[in-house]
Amino acid sequence: MKLILSDCSLPIRIPEEKEVKWIDLSALNISNCVGCFGCWTKTPGRCVIRDDATRVYPLIAASDSVLYVSRIKYGGYDTIMKTMLERAIPVQQAFLRIVQGETHHVQRAVAPKQAVIVAYGDTSEEEQMLFRRLVERNARNMNFASHRVVFCRPDLVGQQVRKELTAWGIG
Amino acid sequence: MGNWMIINASPRAPRSNSKRYAQMVSQCYEGTVVYCPLTKTNHSELLAKMDGVSDLLFVFPLYADALPVSLLHFLKFLEEHPPAHRPTVSVLINCGFLEPEQNEIAVEMMRLFCRQNEYPFGSVLEIGSGEAILDSPFRFLIAGKIRRFVRSIAERNYRTLRVTMPLTKGMFVRAAESYWVNYGKQNGVTKEQMQTMQIE
Repeated sequence: MKLILSDCSLPIRIPEEKEVKWIDLSALNISNCVGCFGCWTKTPGRCVIRDDATRVYPLIAASDSVLYVSRIKYGGYDTIMKTMLERAIPVQQAFLRIVQGETHHVQRAVAPKQAVIVAYGDTSEEEQMLFRRLVERNARNMNFASHRVVFCRPDLVGQQVRKELTAWGIG
Repeated sequence: MGNWMIINASPRAPRSNSKRYAQMVSQCYEGTVVYCPLTKTNHSELLAKMDGVSDLLFVFPLYADALPVSLLHFLKFLEEHPPAHRPTVSVLINCGFLEPEQNEIAVEMMRLFCRQNEYPFGSVLEIGSGEAILDSPFRFLIAGKIRRFVRSIAERNYRTLRVTMPLTKGMFVRAAESYWVNYGKQNGVTKEQMQTMQIE
């Protein structure tokens, strides 16, 4: 399965027969994670906040290809995407393992992913470098088998996403 | 002596480890400290309290490799509503992993915010094993490092400090397992249940 998560509406159309799901997070109701550890220690694998995030993180876990589209802020994901990524921790266990010489959480049934991140905004080279480092870190915690970051101007996001979809055989 | 303001930016501020770290900072500093938990709705109130503050300390946990989104919202608010006088920003960050350097990206994000918005940047304390260390025999390591952190800010001799449990990674993984199994037990959840591979 392939998943597109965006923090904005996109000028794209996904054919229904394709195994591709697009979620515009800006159209959903997703609260902040409250750090209760409920998804690890009370109802393992399920968030106690029963809002729209609960139908997004199972899709993240099941996807073997993901395309994340997010504005950048201070070298990281802006608030819409970041809120969702924080709410995705039910896909991990509380327990730790060693990955590339560092301690990280054990994953539940999370498919290894080919990840592409389209990062947009008026960003400096410094901010872009920091974002690349962040995605490198995410790769270890989010089970990215490979990842690629593409930066673009806000007015070119649609064009960039269509290009990525063509590589997925859509478009 | 400067007037300090500590903002606890943990999403579970009232019962967070960040609150305990903030208390330890307050106890080490002889000047005035105002402690404020960050909430969704108190941004303007915090901004008003910043008047006359020389040093602003953000205390928070690492969240998904970066800043907690609640803090990100507040930084964006500050960008829109800059204080008349910008205090020096210092950072105390903790993560549950053994390696304190896993906090680095979040610290760099804070530095970037400060550069972009013209806040002087002060000291950093990066804590590893931050979920459990305060209730472990290694608490004294935190106490010592916080004293150095506080002194560095007070003396304007800024530095980046790190601290974690002095365990091998394998020992830490086993200690963490025991910690979480006990945590689950308090909720009536077994280790096997916590290890479910099912999502939703």
